[in-house]
Amino acid sequence: MHLNKYSELMERLESEELEQVELGVEVYQQLLAIYLYQNKLADAKLLWMRIPNKLREDKELIQLNLLNQALQNNNYADFFKNIKYEWSERVKSPVEDLLIKQREELFKLMGTAYVSIYQHNLLEMSLMSEEELKKAYATLNWTEELDGDRVILKPKVQEAPPSRANDDQLLKLTEFVTFLEN
Amino acid sequence: MGSALENYVNQVRTLSASGSYRELAEELPETLSLLARNWSILDNVLETLDMQQHSLGVLYVLLAKLHSASTANPEPVQLILLMRDFVQRNNAEQLRFAVCAFYETCHLFTEFVVQKNLSIVGIRILSRAIDQIRQLDTQLTPIHADLCLLSLKAKHFSVVLHYLDTDITDISTVAAECKTQQQQQSQHTVDANNDAKYFLLYYYYGGMIYTAVKNYERALYFFEVCITTPAMAMSHIMLEAYKKFLMVSLIVEGKIAYIPKNTQVIGRFMKPMANHYHDLVNVYANSSSEELRIIILKYSEAFTRDNNMGLAKQATYVQVATSLYKRNIQRLTKTFLTLSLSDVASRVQLSSAVEAERYILNMIKSGEIYASINQKDGMVLFKDDPEKYNSPDMFLNVQTNITQVLEQVKQINKMEEEIILNPLYVKKALGSQDDDLTSQHPKTFSGDPTD
Repeated sequence: MHLNKYSELMERLESEELEQVELGVEVYQQLLAIYLYQNKLADAKLLWMRIPNKLREDKELIQLNLLNQALQNNNYADFFKNIKYEWSERVKSPVEDLLIKQREELFKLMGTAYVSIYQHNLLEMSLMSEEELKKAYATLNWTEELDGDRVILKPKVQEAPPSRANDDQLLKLTEFVTFLEN
Repeated sequence: MGSALENYVNQVRTLSASGSYRELAEELPETLSLLARNWSILDNVLETLDMQQHSLGVLYVLLAKLHSASTANPEPVQLILLMRDFVQRNNAEQLRFAVCAFYETCHLFTEFVVQKNLSIVGIRILSRAIDQIRQLDTQLTPIHADLCLLSLKAKHFSVVLHYLDTDITDISTVAAECKTQQQQQSQHTVDANNDAKYFLLYYYYGGMIYTAVKNYERALYFFEVCITTPAMAMSHIMLEAYKKFLMVSLIVEGKIAYIPKNTQVIGRFMKPMANHYHDLVNVYANSSSEELRIIILKYSEAFTRDNNMGLAKQATYVQVATSLYKRNIQRLTKTFLTLSLSDVASRVQLSSAVEAERYILNMIKSGEIYASINQKDGMVLFKDDPEKYNSPDMFLNVQTNITQVLEQVKQINKMEEEIILNPLYVKKALGSQDDDLTSQHPKTFSGDPTD
């Protein structure tokens, strides 16, 4: 799975944190970035709380924590604003993945939560340029209309792919039924 | 003095070599004060002992080191490394003969690392200690409470959650034996109720940990176990747990969660001492955000005093307030099909339509309500739950739940069987019936060992 991409690194970092007395700032940076990417916000928050005070002055850590707070408050505008930063090599890859994932999620959420939304609102939230945005929603088959002089978007609900029960599931079900009958 | 320690080493070596661990375990407690007095040269003793072969001897040296930590002031890192080495390499078979001393070592070690602000390095060590000493995966030991404490102090929960998630079916009763032992040995000053204390602490800390990771249902369960523990007098741990129980039950259910009837302690002792919290519950029931804010402000001093960690707790109260907004919005979905955003704002007493939109968007995201917003006319459309219970995910969900229930049924049956087969129970159950009945089967109980 995509989510497991960083789990090996994460496990290593986590055990480093548990075993060593003095930790460098790199461990915290990487771990925080990975937690954010994996959407483990509670872990990220706790990690921030246990970072020693003197390390908290690190600029990159502060920036990561801003992302963390934005995600916790569901504040997309803040998130996309703060992710624009010169990330160091160590955290670059998880942070970039995080950005892609959050964009996807934003559009998915907008698709389910809105019947219609003003384009300028969405621009504000996603901090994309108009063209980027157009490209993004064109692939999702959203339609646009004009309301006065403002553009309003009409998201299209994505249909979930139909699923079929397989034999394994059927077997389990039979097991439960036999249990109930006995 | 030196020769006394030599004696100690010799004793440990000969008895360990001959495999008479029980004898060794009985004699060692007496040497503890000797070891503690000689804290400065304990490292020499350690060099002559092998962790694997002389686990018991090393254990007591460690215990002595921890006992004398306040006077000796050892290098923390060194002591921690020693402890880590010990839990990794000791012989668990030998430790079984001195479980109490092992528990005590862990308790003192916990105290030590907490004092030195190194809680996080203690977590792995204690989790390893638990793995070694418990006989079942579902057995609760006094060390569990220590592990929880360290995790709370270090704010690191991924290790401890693993332990908390297993349901406890058995409690290590060795602690009760420790008690009688300790009463005989006056040099131990640990109070006699400590196994009850660690039991309550485990559930209290556990509840706090679950609250911290926002698993409120499970937190509520842990607090409930803590406050419904049969007791004649109230423990302070129970009182604090009760206060947190009230807060968490507001978040989970919006009212006081059901408390089993058999707990007179709550009504008699706890309620009068948790007045502020009951006031808060009553106000919450009125669903008025304004009043709630006033009362939180009014008692904020008491709340922070109670919880010491003012800031951390403040969050809980803010959450209580937010959860009220959310609950009010949820109530609206039951009455209305569509509603304008400004109407939502005024009905739940939010300041503006924009804020209402933000709340609704967040609730849609977390799946608390099903709705869609129409920005064009500023309306919200409330929908029904779109779940049709036909997706594979849902099936998996149901399946895991059923498996859990099946396992619980099995467990209950097993436990019931154990009780039925317990001679004491049989005797009591039959004894309460007519005497004729018992006299008809006198032979059944003649060899009763518990008599």
